[in-house]
Amino acid sequence: MNIARKRQMRNVGILTLLLVLIAPLIPYAISAVSGSSVQGNEYQTQVKHPGGDLWREVRQRDTDVIGRTQVKGVDTGILINKSGEDWRQYRMEMLAPYGAYLMGAILGLIVLFYLVRGTLRIPGGFSGKKILRFTLNERMVHWFTVVIFWLLGVTGLILLYGRMVLIPLLGLEGFSITASASKEVHNLIGPLFLVAMLALIITFIKDNFYASGDLKWLFKAGGMLGGHVSAGRFNAGEKVWYWLASFLGLALCVTGLILDFAILGQSREIMALSHVIHTIAAIVMIAVSFGHIYLGTAGMEGSLSSMSTGYVDENWAKAHHDRWYEEMQATTTKDSKQEAVAGGVAATGKASPISDN
Amino acid sequence: MFAQFVDGIFWDFAVIVFIVGVIWRLASILRAGIKADLATPRASGFAGSVRTNISRFFPHKEVTPRIRILVIAGYMFHLGLFILLVFAAPHIRFIEQHILGFGWTPMPYWAFILVAEIAFAGLLLLLLYRLTHPVTRLISTADDYIATILTFVVMLTGCMALLESFSGLRVFHLFTVELFMIYFPFSSLMHAFTFVFSRSYTGSKLARQGVDA
Repeated sequence: MNIARKRQMRNVGILTLLLVLIAPLIPYAISAVSGSSVQGNEYQTQVKHPGGDLWREVRQRDTDVIGRTQVKGVDTGILINKSGEDWRQYRMEMLAPYGAYLMGAILGLIVLFYLVRGTLRIPGGFSGKKILRFTLNERMVHWFTVVIFWLLGVTGLILLYGRMVLIPLLGLEGFSITASASKEVHNLIGPLFLVAMLALIITFIKDNFYASGDLKWLFKAGGMLGGHVSAGRFNAGEKVWYWLASFLGLALCVTGLILDFAILGQSREIMALSHVIHTIAAIVMIAVSFGHIYLGTAGMEGSLSSMSTGYVDENWAKAHHDRWYEEMQATTTKDSKQEAVAGGVAATGKASPISDN
Repeated sequence: MFAQFVDGIFWDFAVIVFIVGVIWRLASILRAGIKADLATPRASGFAGSVRTNISRFFPHKEVTPRIRILVIAGYMFHLGLFILLVFAAPHIRFIEQHILGFGWTPMPYWAFILVAEIAFAGLLLLLLYRLTHPVTRLISTADDYIATILTFVVMLTGCMALLESFSGLRVFHLFTVELFMIYFPFSSLMHAFTFVFSRSYTGSKLARQGVDA
């Protein structure tokens, strides 16, 4: 592929990413340009709500009192659910700040690591020989999950942190429009994440079970602290990320469906609990994904091509996945012998996973 | 001001560009004509064109395993978009108020959501196929990406405006639709109309030569 073509592909990728990231904020711009903001509060007068004292008394009771009503439904006999306030406080005082600390800390560590170690180069540089690491289907499943994950991630973060971060920037109306848009996108796209997660789990499960040498890889931090550590198609770090993403992703899906389909008869307590689990799982997954993204791009030379073109350099494979490289070499040698006996690629119907480019 | 612009003059402009542009493109194809085939036809060209128009909806079984995902995603997106365009309640209301003066029964809300998700997933898969398949990526042009991303943005803003609680979101969705309509006649999006012409030509020409296309 020539340089101009690569540059064009990169620009399209950046444009797509920017559109996805910026889209939830665009409604604010529309609001600002259309000038439809509410102009001040000069005509509003402060009138005390006649039932304010009554509702305050109800809210301040220690337990929920279940009354009787003709309306049939979950919690319809409760005037004010006390646990709702507990959940709100937990969300605002624990989930949101500690979630931000976690994501910030991971980002900070990554930046620090990059400043200390820089990009991990391929020992011996690029050889020019390439090996097929991920098939078309594997790459499509990966990127499908990535796009859905970040659409949900960005809109979810807007919903969690919007009040604190965006109201000072966008104003009340700008934020309410952005939050409404984000909520709709989040709720609509959410169920697709279940499809993406199941496809991801099924596609990559085969090579993600424990293998001998994985513990050694973990103890040596994958060779980042020095020395070479042997690994198969996926190293122990990638396996940990796979299982973490699988369990957190499924937790996100289950709790997300409970929150998304509030018509299924679940109580407020179940909804609140689901929300807490949903938020914790999302924050941990987003935080760990920063590391995954770093190692797949700026952190490790030659990694990105495995998910863009599907191929990696032979020296990269030898350095980071030597056992897998040997398996691929053995497969290629076996196929070549079969082709020689049976009459070439046409006879076996398989293309070589190793190519000279 | 922006809302008035989008609802008013820009909508009129987009409609005119769309209609005139599509007619101009189709007329230019028809005016190009076809070189007279003087050979004695082995079979009816008209029957061949009709047959090819229908048969091209189904991939040949020889290539099906290799393009299965493309076929499935293609149907998910195109059928989904068509159903959303014609049977979604907000669209029917818009068509009734601004275009035809009458409407029809919309699909239920749950079906609307389901179809929107299917169409969205289909479009995303098609875009990813274009980006990840080595051959498709090589033959893709900037126009292909612009058309796909524009369609993606139109659908995304449609998602944003789903609740219909803010006028600004509806205006923004309409604005992206208008950009889409203006870009449509000058791009590969024209395949929505030209596929009939290309299939008819191929089917007719090959049928006259005795080939089952």
